Amino acid sequence: MIDSDSVKNLAGHPFDRRDFLKVLGWGGAAAALSGCGNTSIEDGKETVVSYVEAKDYVIPGVAVYFNSTCAQCDAGCSITGKIREGRVLKLEGNPESPINKGRLCGLGQAAVQHHYNPDRVREPLLRNGDKGEAISWEKAYALINEKLAGVKGEEIALVSGDVSGHQKVLLGNYMDSLGSKNHFVYEAVSPAVVRAANLKFYGVEMPRYRIDKAKVVLSFGADFLGTWVSPVHFAQQYAAFRKGVDGQRGVLIQAESKMTLTGANADRWLAVRPGTEGILALGIINALGVATGDVAELVKDYDKVRVSRETGVEPSNIDKIAAILKLRSPSLVLVGSAAEGYQHGLQNAAAINLLNQVLGNVGKTIEAPVSVPFPQMAPAKGKTAALKDLNDDLAAGKYKVLFNVATNPVFTAPASYKFRDNMAKAGFKVAFAHYLDETALQADLVLPLDSEMEDWGTHVPEYLADTVQINIQQPLMERLHANTRGFGDILLALVKQRRAEEYKAFDDYYGYLRSAVLQNKAALGGAGSDDDTFWNDTLSNGIVKLSGASGALSLKVDVSGLKLPTPKEIDEQYPMNLIPAVTSNLRDGRHTNQPWIQESPDPLTTIVWDSWVEMHPKMALQLGIVEGDIVKVTSKTGSVSAQVYLFPGIHPDAVSIPIGRGHDAMGRYAKGYGVNPFEIMDAVFESATGELAMHETRVNITKTGQRVIVVKDEGPAGGRQMGRKIAARMSTDQVDLSKEV
Amino acid sequence: MSVTNLLDNWAAVRHFHPIDDKPHDPYKWAMAIDLDACIGCNACAVACYAENNLPVVGREKFKHGQVMHWMRIERYWDEDGRDYPDQGFQFLPMMCQQCEAAPCETVCPVGATNHTQDGLNSQIYNRCIGSRYCSANCPFKVRYFNWYDYPTTENVWPAEMNYQLNPDVTVRGKGVMEKCTFCVQRLRAAEVTAKGEGRIVREGEVQTACQQSCPTGAISFGNLVDPESRVHKQWQAQQVDLDKDMQEKNQKEGGSDLRGYRILEELRSYPSVMYLERVRESAV
Amino acid sequence: MKDIREDIAWAKINQDVMKSLENPRPLYWVILFFAVLAFGIGIGCEVYQYQMGMGVANLDNPHVWGLYIATFIFWIGMSHSGTLLSAILHLMHADWRKPIYRFAEAMTTFSLMTAGLFVMVHLGRLWQFYYAVPYPNERWVWPNFQSPLLWDAMAIFTYLSSSVLFLFVGMIPDLAIARDNMQSGWRRKLYTLLALGWEGTDRQWRNFRVTYLTIACFLIPLAVSVHSIVASDFGMSQQPGWHVTSFPPYFVAGALYSGCAAIITLFIILRYVFKFEEYMTLPILKKIVRLTFAIAMVWTYLNCVEFASVWYSHDAVSKDLLIQKMTGPYAPFWWAMIFCGSIVPLIFAIKRFQTNIPVLFATSLLLNLGMWLERWMIVSPTFSHGYYPWTWDHDQWPSMIQWGIVFGSFGWFTLLFMVFCKMFPSVSMYEVKEMVYHRSLHLKQNGTVEQGVH
Ligand SMILES: Nc1nc2c(c(=O)[nH]1)N[C@H]1C(S)=C(S)[C@@H](COP(=O)(O)OP(=O)(O)OC[C@H]3O[C@@H](n4cnc5c(=O)[nH]c(N)nc54)[C@H](O)[C@@H]3O)O[C@H]1N2
Ligand SMILES: Nc1nc2c(c(=O)[nH]1)N[C@H]1C(S)=C(S)[C@@H](COP(=O)(O)OP(=O)(O)OC[C@H]3O[C@@H](n4cnc5c(=O)[nH]c(N)nc54)[C@H](O)[C@@H]3O)O[C@H]1N2
Ligand code: SF4
Ligand code: SF4
Ligand code: SF4
Ligand code: SF4
Ligand code: SF4
Repeated sequence: MIDSDSVKNLAGHPFDRRDFLKVLGWGGAAAALSGCGNTSIEDGKETVVSYVEAKDYVIPGVAVYFNSTCAQCDAGCSITGKIREGRVLKLEGNPESPINKGRLCGLGQAAVQHHYNPDRVREPLLRNGDKGEAISWEKAYALINEKLAGVKGEEIALVSGDVSGHQKVLLGNYMDSLGSKNHFVYEAVSPAVVRAANLKFYGVEMPRYRIDKAKVVLSFGADFLGTWVSPVHFAQQYAAFRKGVDGQRGVLIQAESKMTLTGANADRWLAVRPGTEGILALGIINALGVATGDVAELVKDYDKVRVSRETGVEPSNIDKIAAILKLRSPSLVLVGSAAEGYQHGLQNAAAINLLNQVLGNVGKTIEAPVSVPFPQMAPAKGKTAALKDLNDDLAAGKYKVLFNVATNPVFTAPASYKFRDNMAKAGFKVAFAHYLDETALQADLVLPLDSEMEDWGTHVPEYLADTVQINIQQPLMERLHANTRGFGDILLALVKQRRAEEYKAFDDYYGYLRSAVLQNKAALGGAGSDDDTFWNDTLSNGIVKLSGASGALSLKVDVSGLKLPTPKEIDEQYPMNLIPAVTSNLRDGRHTNQPWIQESPDPLTTIVWDSWVEMHPKMALQLGIVEGDIVKVTSKTGSVSAQVYLFPGIHPDAVSIPIGRGHDAMGRYAKGYGVNPFEIMDAVFESATGELAMHETRVNITKTGQRVIVVKDEGPAGGRQMGRKIAARMSTDQVDLSKEV
Repeated sequence: MSVTNLLDNWAAVRHFHPIDDKPHDPYKWAMAIDLDACIGCNACAVACYAENNLPVVGREKFKHGQVMHWMRIERYWDEDGRDYPDQGFQFLPMMCQQCEAAPCETVCPVGATNHTQDGLNSQIYNRCIGSRYCSANCPFKVRYFNWYDYPTTENVWPAEMNYQLNPDVTVRGKGVMEKCTFCVQRLRAAEVTAKGEGRIVREGEVQTACQQSCPTGAISFGNLVDPESRVHKQWQAQQVDLDKDMQEKNQKEGGSDLRGYRILEELRSYPSVMYLERVRESAV
Repeated sequence: MKDIREDIAWAKINQDVMKSLENPRPLYWVILFFAVLAFGIGIGCEVYQYQMGMGVANLDNPHVWGLYIATFIFWIGMSHSGTLLSAILHLMHADWRKPIYRFAEAMTTFSLMTAGLFVMVHLGRLWQFYYAVPYPNERWVWPNFQSPLLWDAMAIFTYLSSSVLFLFVGMIPDLAIARDNMQSGWRRKLYTLLALGWEGTDRQWRNFRVTYLTIACFLIPLAVSVHSIVASDFGMSQQPGWHVTSFPPYFVAGALYSGCAAIITLFIILRYVFKFEEYMTLPILKKIVRLTFAIAMVWTYLNCVEFASVWYSHDAVSKDLLIQKMTGPYAPFWWAMIFCGSIVPLIFAIKRFQTNIPVLFATSLLLNLGMWLERWMIVSPTFSHGYYPWTWDHDQWPSMIQWGIVFGSFGWFTLLFMVFCKMFPSVSMYEVKEMVYHRSLHLKQNGTVEQGVH
């Protein structure tokens, strides 16, 4: 009989996880038979499956919960999966993680649709002309071995997204075993320039931001509530910030050319002429009037009149911002992707960071991060420059074998790279893939991966909210498809081809991982407990928390070399700036095939299932464009056509198209919806870091004469409430927050 | 099956408004949503899809207004002729307000939508004949009709995707009305557990799916008649009374400095969801 | 202008009317063909909708009601003039009612039957319609007696059954005539059955008169209540544009209006198709036209009352909706309604048009178009522009499926009506005789008239 103790055991520890998985597997099969769920009260197709022979640990109707890690973005939130009858049903936040404290964003929750996705690759596929032919894993491994034979290390390259933890270690070992140093870590959307600016000004790439301690947050295009670095964590800080320190509600000011979700939540949103963020920052320093020495010298020409002329921000607003920053301290100034996406991105970011130094925020709301004690597990951070390098090499025909994992460069490379063609020059291309996305389609061999809910792993987030944490990824149910494999398992099999001796002790990646963790038991805080207990506790917690040493931040201000260009003249042929928007639903487009994501309205425009060209109503009026007009957006590189959405939260000199849609592969929910702005992005680079300057593309807009109804949640009333008190608002001087519960 | 029986039954169904002879006891589920905390991120809406088996209808049907999101995030801004929405937006999560005197209930010809003893507006899918009168009479327009048979519609729940469905929640077929239930399956489970242990559900013991996911904790949910609950304390601090169509605090000279309000309160449907006004800094 | 001949022989009346059961003009068959065609299209659309779900109608959230409900009200309205006028005129001893009341009552019955279809067509789960019926059941599950929709269902059912009864009872003496004039065949059997053994004895006549009068008395308040209840579906709700106190009289007036207009249309058709020129005379038509004009003005007045009360009230939402109706996407339809409903009937004020058949035919169709538009303009704008601005919806229009079913309903009605008129005497023989008798008493005393048979 099942008593309450065994229920506790389920929720807690002592039983073998692999045994449990077998049970889950059984349950999964049973669920498949019963068709639970996909029956309605009408169709009468329910089949009742008997559970009289249910194994221990499966109590029909009682959910069990397992902790793991969200892999939908790099923030590294911890998840708790709800499992019933062997199926994972729902993901919730793990309250024990300092990053997300039990919460989860929409994208994170949609991971179950990644796992159950009908378009997942299920078999190893070998290219045969235009088709993929299913082959066995033995054959696939043998083929890789064969293709690598006689190939020199420098002729082998691997391109991946961000990677950390034991997968990173194993991946490194494999590349070593091949004698290759060509691991390109590429993320289409990453704060690489900001990291460089941070290093210059704070001495660290990614400090710890304390929005919750700040009284004023001035953000230059950092969409920390939507997409930036660790949004769920920052959203929680934001909530505390709004409640206020000492009862004084935090003030958020956002300066950017296209409104982000964070901008939409600001008390004051400033429409900045694209690329002039740094000038505005220097203007504010000037208006503060507290700078001395080099800094004072630097900003002395940035008076209100000039700054206002160049940035489009009214002088009165510059005064107000300076006044409030002076009055309420500490504050926090953030620099985000909007400021870094220009040729002078680093200068922009540096000017903005300088503001923090001037305001004395460093050390108060900007704290030193903890350092990860196992550097080999620390995250390899993606850069767009990596793709540029890889592309140049591919174009030069340097590589005979190319591996690809967890990134989709064919989709996210600017069209002018001709990445697809260059990739073809590599003799043999292997993609580790979940879907047949644009890149996998170009591969010669596609190896189907387990989903994050079937696989083992460890992850170390780049942004650590509190202490160092190593996040555990573990299967929440048995694999759905017999012929997918974990990324770690594949790596292990491949590395064994080279170094059989070294790895012969490990049957599979699980064994490797367990032994790797247990080897460092003491360092991981498990001194004193026996192996099994420690291992089970680790899996049960889903997180290993360690105390890491906090470094010191550099307080010295070095403004040498800081020089901002004067804003560009308007180009007659391409008068507008294209802002490829990163939205909280879609990010870089790797999850577009999850229908919850497609149908989750964009928070600002409420558009679903499609791309749009966002344009200021004033500019649209000039061009005679109304909502729903299909326009052609043309850059030097190419053109795309999409529907117009009129939105006042954008600078009139800019138009914006979201990233993430416009797939021509990947699956039924992604393919054919919208357009891909990478197709018209000019190859312009940040001058100091070589990162792609994503906001530097200039475009012009022409009407095509077609018009559609924009598919969105908002009705014809738009953002208006028509005098009904629906979403009400008070100003801080009317309201007394101190009485609140 | 006498007429007396008939009238008794009917009266029992109809009489759970907050009136003196039938107080909510021991539960009255209610919410408070802080618009100053809500950032409009949609996490709650996705959580609702996951928890309540909501179909993704796809582009074409969305275009025809046939979306099924029980929770929708509305966003408003001042369109007072300024060039930019430079004072920020107001995001508003809107779902069934679980009205105490729900206009949707009285009009349903078959009594498929009713008030429960614990203060919910319930929807009996089996009983619904799809007349849509309830939706016609809902001032908030938060009722969603199954215009198609989504379970059998292509690509709504194709093979494997259906494994995600929550077995605690019915999958609705064509022709049935549905809406936010305050995650009634979670409430019932908690109520039954508590009953078995001879107590009432404690504060924090049960969360709605939207509340649980919300990164900013904008949504609080609980038992309004439990003085220990946060919701109770919030409603009280904001001086919002469930059974008023105009709050006393608002009648004071110069209005109120409290943020709590209910939407379209003047229509006397007595919503169970209190919103807290968005705040905007006056210094910038 | 020729009225019914006062010296017409009773046998001739029988002959003329009975002829309508045999050989109508060819137009009859043309009409029947198109009716069947339209009905077939409607059926096709409904089958498709039943299979696919209501979504194919292009209704949406929150625009959950559309043409089905509008057309439902239209047909209910259409039903009003027939029976109601017949009963009122009967009580008032207006003899000009006699040649036309039969088809008018048939019109009532069949429009009710058509309206009933829309209740079904509209349901999301048509196969569960009986949940709305208060049948005794083990679980004590009753419908919700609080819902106006339920009152509606009951009112319509009562009205339909009473109307059928009224029509049938009034037809008994004529059925006997038909029985007696028919050669053998299934028709004769049918008439024999339906005539209930009518012999025309004194006792039968006495009972007949009392029964008929009683039903007439019962029907008048019933008919008024039916459309008042339909009005309650809207008036009792909370929505802007619907929550209007004057809705019941407004609906009743609208109903009488469209009913009268339909009587004119059908009068003209029957008169031609069944060669009833002798009985459906122009003076009768003139009386109906004048009545219609009066009702049109009442309807116009009630419209103004509604606009004025919205205009002067502090209900900003209703005001907003009214402006939206006049200027928004529905404006062309709304103004068409005003034109057809209030301007077109002014033609009736001109004497020379009161008996001009082509003009009257065209006008009556326009009036009915206007009244159909009125119903649509009550239902849809409120959904598209209600309390909650976020959910406004100005882009969705009825799909071809919705139109197809609406179209089909006209086919269905015409089919029933035309078949009825060919199956049963659509002019009351015995009452026309009464009328002629009363008008020709002086002639009769001279004994110059052929003895009629009845
Ligand atoms: N999916 C689905 N679920 C359903 C239903 C459905 O249609 N579909 N139907 C519902 C209905 S209507 C019902 S009644 C329930 C039935 O649900 P249960 O009451 O659970 O029915 P059984 O499984 O038939 O019987 C329960 C146990 O009683 C044991 N048993 C048999 N005889 C005796 C005896 O003499 N003494 C004792 N102590 N035990 C005995 C049997 O071996 C069995 O293990 O299921 C309900 N659940
Ligand atoms: N072989 C076998 N026979 C059994 C049993 C068994 O275990 N094995 N169990 C016995 C027991 S315990 C029971 S209770 C009976 C159950 O026997 P039944 O009462 O026949 O039960 P079901 O087949 O579950 O449901 C009957 C029908 O009700 C419909 N329905 C669902 N909801 C509604 C609604 O709201 N209104 C209406 N009108 N219909 C609805 C369903 O679609 C279904 O067609 O079977 C008994 N017979
Ligand atoms: S922020 Fe990233 S890691 Fe966190 S829940 Fe969302 S997608 Fe997952
Ligand atoms: S999850 Fe919270 S913050 Fe996000 S939209 Fe919902 S209520 Fe607002
Ligand atoms: S919000 Fe609408 S659906 Fe919910 S109880 Fe109120 S009237 Fe009914
Ligand atoms: S749609 Fe269903 S719940 Fe709504 S009124 Fe009609 S029968 Fe009742
Ligand atoms: S309470 Fe539950 S059902 Fe209602 S919106 Fe939230 S998650 Fe959805």
